[in-house]
Amino acid sequence: GTTKTYQIPISHLDYKFIEKCRDVKHLEKILRVLRSGEEGCYPELTLCCEKRIEHLDPMSKALRKDKPAATASDFTAEEWEAINGELMVRWLTEMNEGDKKPQFPRTDTLCERQDNLPPIRCSSSCLPANQNKKLQNKETNKKNIPRDYSEWDKFDVEKECYKIDEGCEENNSKARFNRPSLPVIEKKIDTTGMTKKDKIFIATREKEKGNEAFATGDYVEAVTYYARSISVIPTAAAYNNKAQAEIKLKDWDSALQDCEKVLDMEPGNIKALMRRASVHNQLQNYQAAIEDLSEILHVEPENAIAKRNLLEIERKLKGLKPVSETQGKGKRILIQEIGDSEGDEEREEDTQERGGSKAEDRETQKQKESTESRLKKGTSEKKPQKKLSDHEGSQSADSGSSLPPIAAKLKSEGNELFKSGQFGEAVLKYSEAIEYVISLGEQSPADLSILYSNRAACYLKEGSCSDCIQDCNRALELQPFSLKPLLRRAMANESMERYRQAYVDYKTILQIDSSIQAANDSVNRITKTLIDQDGPSWRDKLPPIPVVPVAAQLHRWDGGNFTSENRPRSEEAEEKFKTLKNEGNDFVKKGKYEEAVKKYSECMKLNTKECAIYTNRALCYLKLYKYEEAKQDCDHVLQIEDSNIKAFYRRALAYKGLQNYQASIDDFNRVLLIDPDVLEARKELEEVTQLLNLDSSAVAGSQQKQRKKITIQEVTESDEWEERQFSTSEDIAADHVTSKEAVQGSVPPKTLEKLRFSEPDNAYDFGQIINAVNANKDKAACADLLTMIDPKQLPVLLSNKLEGEIFLIFIQSLEYYVVGKDPGLVYQHLFYLSKAERFKVVLALLSKNEKEHVQQLFDLLAEKRNHQYSSGDLKSLRKVYEL
Amino acid sequence: KIEKPKSIKCGTFGATSLQQRYLATGDFGGNLNIWNLEAPEIPVYSVKGHKEIINSIDGVGGLGIGEGAPEIVTGSRDGTVKVWDPRQKETPVANMEPVQGESKRDCWTVAFGNAYNQEERVVCAGYDNGDIKLFDLKTMSLRWETNIKNGVCSVEFDRKDVNMNKLVATSLEGKFHVFDMRTQHPTKGFASVSEKAQKSTIWQVRPLPQNRDIFMTSGGAGSLHLWKYEYPAQRSKKDSEGAEMGVAGSVSLLQNVTLSTQPISSLDWSPDKKGLCVCGAFDQTVRVLIVTKLNKV
Repeated sequence: GTTKTYQIPISHLDYKFIEKCRDVKHLEKILRVLRSGEEGCYPELTLCCEKRIEHLDPMSKALRKDKPAATASDFTAEEWEAINGELMVRWLTEMNEGDKKPQFPRTDTLCERQDNLPPIRCSSSCLPANQNKKLQNKETNKKNIPRDYSEWDKFDVEKECYKIDEGCEENNSKARFNRPSLPVIEKKIDTTGMTKKDKIFIATREKEKGNEAFATGDYVEAVTYYARSISVIPTAAAYNNKAQAEIKLKDWDSALQDCEKVLDMEPGNIKALMRRASVHNQLQNYQAAIEDLSEILHVEPENAIAKRNLLEIERKLKGLKPVSETQGKGKRILIQEIGDSEGDEEREEDTQERGGSKAEDRETQKQKESTESRLKKGTSEKKPQKKLSDHEGSQSADSGSSLPPIAAKLKSEGNELFKSGQFGEAVLKYSEAIEYVISLGEQSPADLSILYSNRAACYLKEGSCSDCIQDCNRALELQPFSLKPLLRRAMANESMERYRQAYVDYKTILQIDSSIQAANDSVNRITKTLIDQDGPSWRDKLPPIPVVPVAAQLHRWDGGNFTSENRPRSEEAEEKFKTLKNEGNDFVKKGKYEEAVKKYSECMKLNTKECAIYTNRALCYLKLYKYEEAKQDCDHVLQIEDSNIKAFYRRALAYKGLQNYQASIDDFNRVLLIDPDVLEARKELEEVTQLLNLDSSAVAGSQQKQRKKITIQEVTESDEWEERQFSTSEDIAADHVTSKEAVQGSVPPKTLEKLRFSEPDNAYDFGQIINAVNANKDKAACADLLTMIDPKQLPVLLSNKLEGEIFLIFIQSLEYYVVGKDPGLVYQHLFYLSKAERFKVVLALLSKNEKEHVQQLFDLLAEKRNHQYSSGDLKSLRKVYEL
Repeated sequence: KIEKPKSIKCGTFGATSLQQRYLATGDFGGNLNIWNLEAPEIPVYSVKGHKEIINSIDGVGGLGIGEGAPEIVTGSRDGTVKVWDPRQKETPVANMEPVQGESKRDCWTVAFGNAYNQEERVVCAGYDNGDIKLFDLKTMSLRWETNIKNGVCSVEFDRKDVNMNKLVATSLEGKFHVFDMRTQHPTKGFASVSEKAQKSTIWQVRPLPQNRDIFMTSGGAGSLHLWKYEYPAQRSKKDSEGAEMGVAGSVSLLQNVTLSTQPISSLDWSPDKKGLCVCGAFDQTVRVLIVTKLNKV
């Protein structure tokens, strides 16, 4: 027998059969029969069947069961406590607090926000819900019928070619419509009139959007959203995630910057260190990568990834050493600079940030969890006291020697607490230490200053900025012009919105060490804010900026550089050289090529042997279209280093700009000889060869000239792409400029778009165009439109949409643009316009001024006699227009 | 508690600022009203927008969601979909209606999307005959339409304020469709995957505000289903003619739960607390649920 439903043999409802059956579909049917109970109730067999299905296909739909909602009884007491406590206690109180806080004064904010809103969508737009059918019709209209012989006689090759070209363009534009290559998303969010709560909300939201985009692999979009989040509230997590996305995009320099920002905010952030290490690795900056990785290993000695990477890099370094002797020197300095700008190596901080874990790769997450669990397990397991690298060592060394043992112990305890994120308790420890040191009498102002400075860091983390500032002040009294307290005071001032004080502090810091990236960035940011706030004379309101004595600067370098005693002079010059170069690179990134050229030129005064400077300056010259100078720089480099691939490439571009195509081709060939994988060079080579051919055939029509100009622009852009391939440690690629340019490039300028309408063939299309024209009062476009259409069609096209504004713009465009060329057409238009619907109404509502326009047009028409109308015609038309 | 003469069908906070929190409602008489909940006696904005009941309403531009002007879209039984700007009285800023002579379909659901900058914005509408139409408000054109064979109960973009990513549409017969909205093929439109959740109507779908790939559907049998969309390795490919076409991913069920014997007709997530959601059912109960462990998905 078989079952009623599905007709399964009864024998299949058996343990043995089910155990052996591999057909999931069949098993599902069996399960349904069993569940329905129509063949009897066999709970054990049902269970067995379910298990079998689960074994074969865990995702099977048949396994889905209705379940009641979980309640407290479904959880263990601990789980329930965790859920309930999280939700009911922590989150509820948080929300209640938020609600109780006084709302922002409403009227102000509303007004402000209204101003920022875009205009109301243009009204009376009505679209039929089945439009695309018609569109399809239009496409099928273009049929390919074989021509008859008589038509072949009239065949115009030029025209047909043109048509094909046009067709291509059309297709392109269609493709563009379908898939906009890069959505234009604002990089910044206007936060005027937002309360702090709003800002936090929006910042997290944007970050989440970034995480999602990252998860789907849209890294460009992710970077944009992270940047938006940062523009509202800069958080370490957002910077960290942005860095990760930039690494995916191979945008090493931006990633490096972002990692550094994270480390400014949270020194010792493991994730940031990890990422910076990988960036350094990619930039072949192995020494720096090793530095970062070993820092990670100090905090997390069993971090497997860090260990593996470290080994790998060390191997690479060994293999590379003999080659990159000169580069190594520059690199070492870079490391020190980074160490300094971090400014806070005394402690390591654990990455407690939870947000954005989605975007993290599994491995880092795991490792983070392991850290946390380790912390939870109990901090009894003492971490090895961190051996600090470079200049840090001097500080901890002398602190170790002169601090009384009790205070030293308190301090190290405080450091431990700080590391684990317990800032409040760290404050207590530091305070004890301070009291103890003071009670002993002030023997060592330096140590006391460090203690104050550390406590200030805790306060800063806790958000009590005024306490932080107080401590910084004390620390600075004891030890004037020391960097860390200055930096912390500046940060505190900035977050208290005391921008002027913050500005002064940052400036002071820059006097001591101009290479601190964070300070540079902050100065720029604050300058902007202050200009917004105080107008152009913002400088007048600043408190005086203290002049840093040279001693302090020198002192810093002595302390900061363990090798400086051996070779102080060359070090200093080199340092200056480096800062100049960095500045130059920064300018390049911002697209200020002229300033960059100046900086590079200064660099050259200090060191004439560094090729990178010349190649960089050549790049700037190329950007500025100064091909001759670019060529000279490249020549110089090639004299020193006869196989510098970058110099060859840029000289080739310069030759191209100088229209010396033969030389350009030679140089490109040389580039390809050195490295045959440089795609850009290959592409350029083809292009230039083409240009050369074109040139020799010597057909220099005006159209061609235009074409040439465009290719040059392409060159400059692709050059930047080339940068990416080439970029090594000493060169900075202008990557984000590229992307910006790409964005701009992908959006055609608005005006162009407007002019590109085709002849409308129905009232709807016509109405759309008229609306667009009217919105911009674009009379030229309107005139184009009017010359394009057949005057007889005008009443049909206008249908019942004729309005005063449209009437006026018609009259004006006819008057300004058409009447001079073709008075006959104007007459026709006026004639048929008077036949349009609503014409009488519009005419009746014209103001005196507007009537004058009409009058003028008629006068002009009368002046320009034309065979298409007689004076009698004109007169009768005047009557219709009630003149 | 206030009583109004006409029964209210739908409401949204989507088009006001975080501080303002005005509620926009559509009622059985076809009126669109905006209420200041602190002075709810008189609406701050009121318009007789439709001839018949407003079935669905959605807002964008407020609450920090989406760039650009605050706008409200309403869909009604009279077959029209209208977009309103609270700054413009009386008339809608856009009106999508069937051309004369064509039969009017009951519009059941509307949703905003693609509002990632000041200009871009789309409205998606679902009708009782299974039509889904996507109107582009920037170009004022119908960008795409399809039919999913059964009445469309709810459409929702996974996020209103990003470049169109995904659209979920649920139907009367218990199926839902997930469209990948990134790549539009000139003829085939958007790629989609469909999944049958249960035997009864899926009344509503809501994406998790904190993770756009997770969404919950509420069903006629009083059940809630939590789903996750997984992207394919490559989200688009070239067809034989070289045009880009989308590739749909897959949907997997994360969890389901039955709360009531009556349909659960509405559902929403908390923007502040991940996993906290509220649903209303025909048994006149409002239930608050918390979904845990969403971090681990």
